[in-house]
Amino acid sequence: MASIVDIAVSAGSFATLVTAVKAANLVDTLGTGGPFTVFAPNDAAFAKLPPGTITTLVQNIPQLTRILCYHVAAGVYRQADLQSRPRLASLEGSDLYLNFPEDLATGFEVNNATVVAADIEADNGIIHVLDTVVLPRPHWFDGIVANS
Amino acid sequence: MTAIAPILSPSTHPLADVVHRLEAGGSMLPDTPENLMQIIGLYKAYAVPMDFYWRDLLYIGERVFLEPLPFFKYFLPQEYLDLANHYAGDTADLRVWRGRATAHPELLAFMEKGELKTKLPKLFHHLWHDRINMEFAEECMRAMLWHRNMGGQLDPYLDSEEYRQNADRAIRAYFRGNPLLLGLYQLFPELFLEQCRQATLYSCLGLFWEVMAPVFFEMSDIYDEGGFRGVPDAMNFLVNGIFAIAGRPIYHRVYIGSECYELVPKSKGFTWLYEAAFPYVEAVFYRTAPFRGTKSYNAQAGQIPAHQEDFHYGVLYADTFPVGSAGIPPTLLSQDMLHFLPPYMLEYYRQHCRGEDDMLVQLTVSFQRSMYNVTSAVIQAGRAAFLYPLDDPNPRHRQQNRAYFEGQLRRFARTDYDIDQACRINYVQKQSYR
Repeated sequence: MASIVDIAVSAGSFATLVTAVKAANLVDTLGTGGPFTVFAPNDAAFAKLPPGTITTLVQNIPQLTRILCYHVAAGVYRQADLQSRPRLASLEGSDLYLNFPEDLATGFEVNNATVVAADIEADNGIIHVLDTVVLPRPHWFDGIVANS
Repeated sequence: MTAIAPILSPSTHPLADVVHRLEAGGSMLPDTPENLMQIIGLYKAYAVPMDFYWRDLLYIGERVFLEPLPFFKYFLPQEYLDLANHYAGDTADLRVWRGRATAHPELLAFMEKGELKTKLPKLFHHLWHDRINMEFAEECMRAMLWHRNMGGQLDPYLDSEEYRQNADRAIRAYFRGNPLLLGLYQLFPELFLEQCRQATLYSCLGLFWEVMAPVFFEMSDIYDEGGFRGVPDAMNFLVNGIFAIAGRPIYHRVYIGSECYELVPKSKGFTWLYEAAFPYVEAVFYRTAPFRGTKSYNAQAGQIPAHQEDFHYGVLYADTFPVGSAGIPPTLLSQDMLHFLPPYMLEYYRQHCRGEDDMLVQLTVSFQRSMYNVTSAVIQAGRAAFLYPLDDPNPRHRQQNRAYFEGQLRRFARTDYDIDQACRINYVQKQSYR
């Protein structure tokens, strides 16, 4: 089997993610460390971000690293393992919010992203492919939504 | 704006009209040419003093630091007037404004001769308040210092052992050779540490406004060229700007002699969006001085919120008439903006109310409108970042967007402490509110 990074490179649909991981010097960590669960936004997901977003992040590596780490959790969590968890702690420190709605025939949701391909096995973990880049929710977010 | 087909039943929220407008991609402010003119005119008038505010905030945070008698902290050295904005000019990291990176020409012209239009020694202009009033900027900084726990990782970092050690090194270096101050530091270490936290907030707000000034200058230029079709266009420009700059680092460096001390290193990964913009909006727009709003202050009658998070004295709740009663710093801000109003705004104010006699009041109402638009942009940016596109075909996603919009607007519709009466959202729906 290949590593998380090898799979992302060979898939061809994670060019932006791979560039970002290289810029953040996370190739070794994600290539040999772990095991990790990686929620990997595809190129279409990065293309949804307004212009300039990636430019600023690539100019500022610690900040880029933080956003990338929000897409990674320590340990291996397959879709079946996540069904009983409403949240999963990311390496960034904030939680990822998981949702398994009935109106989705396959896959599940992570924050505002839908998992378009789940349970891609790698040597050092597992990959779930996201259609949207997810961002940590501020602490007031839950209160605002609950207040409606 | 492309029409978005509604797929949910109408909202029953007390501010349902505004909910529907936000769902259609609009702002809390109605889309009228008059509103567009007012908000852009005020962005321009705000951006020029802001160009001074961010430079001086950084100067105070980085150089003045713990000066016990900081008499000259508003006397900005040339080095900071020449400091290149990271988001304007040819050397920009990301060029937001097509203009120059150094201090704005209108700002420099005003600093030279002031309102008196006379070149006098700087100290006279200062004492006569014929200058940029940094008091407002400092009030905003203190608002962020007083309202801790408004989110982000910087706030808990200020209480960490790592920060204490960084601050300790800088304090000892700053007072090297000063046994009196070093002795006081031994006796009252927490006092000095709190001053360091304040200096960090100076830097944080300076870095925040370094971004906002060129954003507002560019918006003014686009408007002058006829580039915005309506209020939603102006709001969307802000939303895109918020995303583009979201990852800009927030840090605090202190320069002592030839050494640089990092109190908050860039390597912490703190960002403009999470550690500066969101806490700023929560503290300044919603909760606190400098804008005190219309509220009574009878604590015995339970009119003061018991919890700081329920404070509602921000600009969105401000009573701008008479200006002085809204607090001294807002009056000083109005005075700052008055000097840099575009000609179309001066003409507009002359035509309404008491013309030049109450221009500061009219101006502050326009400022309030423009800040409702900025808050709308923050709300829409939050929706785009954490939730779903406005035209998402999935009803469940649209419902979550609605819950978010309704939750945000609930902050204006709360009846406890008469918050619904204090807030100005219903006022800004009408053009007659001036």
